[in-house]
Amino acid sequence: MIPATGAILGLSAVLFGIGAFGFLARRNIILMFVSVEVMLNAVNLSLIGFSRHLDDPRGQVLALFVIAVAAAEAGVGLGLVIALNRNKPGAGVADLTELKW
Amino acid sequence: MLAAQAIFYYMAAASVASALLAVTRKNPIHSMLWVLALFLHVAGIFLLLDAEFLAAVQVIVYAGAILIFYLFVLMLLDLPGEEARPRFGRHWPFAAAVGISFAALAWLARVETFDRDAAGAATVTRVAADAPVEGGLEDIGMALFGPFALPFEIAGLVLLAAIVGAVVLARKRDTPS
Repeated sequence: MIPATGAILGLSAVLFGIGAFGFLARRNIILMFVSVEVMLNAVNLSLIGFSRHLDDPRGQVLALFVIAVAAAEAGVGLGLVIALNRNKPGAGVADLTELKW
Repeated sequence: MLAAQAIFYYMAAASVASALLAVTRKNPIHSMLWVLALFLHVAGIFLLLDAEFLAAVQVIVYAGAILIFYLFVLMLLDLPGEEARPRFGRHWPFAAAVGISFAALAWLARVETFDRDAAGAATVTRVAADAPVEGGLEDIGMALFGPFALPFEIAGLVLLAAIVGAVVLARKRDTPS
């Protein structure tokens, strides 16, 4: 079986770690969303790896749902960014402290 | 066989490199372009995994729609001071520790399960090892409109809710409420 399922899962683990680092470390809210997309992509990769390993199309169906939810998340998240930007220009998370007391 | 292996390792190395560049570049536009490279390489890996439909969806929906949407908003907002600010928070070493430890744990779990499998000690779960998945797209379609019909409709509902929510959030309020 080429590529081996273990290699796919290792690649998926590394990509998820990179995405988690990006989400926690970046200050720009749009780049935090993009790091979430990197993590979702890593999960899709492992879902499809398992789908082929177990010879079962359900993994690919789940990956399709993950992509649909990612699209919904991008739409709502960027709508929020635009609404925030109208009140206060800039996309740094450090500026958005109005709900904090 | 050797060629497939070489292509896989190229794709894997290129996706890790472009993911790293995407989360560390200072200019957000450069980050987006590296994420585009990541998505295209992951689509190539999907092709190697006999998931042609998912590779097409990855290119069309992720690279073609979601990423262009992100780029669009990024250019619409026109963040002039973004490059002058520090790109990471002060707590970035902790973030790096979290990312590295998660990747290490998942890697160890993988070794525990799949390298033993590769050595041939436990091959129970491997169904039809070298047979290609036949009619991949047909199987996905039958699954989507058969056992997964309700989740499929719910996904449509989620997308509709997201569309309405995005319009409501981003709309300019004419009358003060």
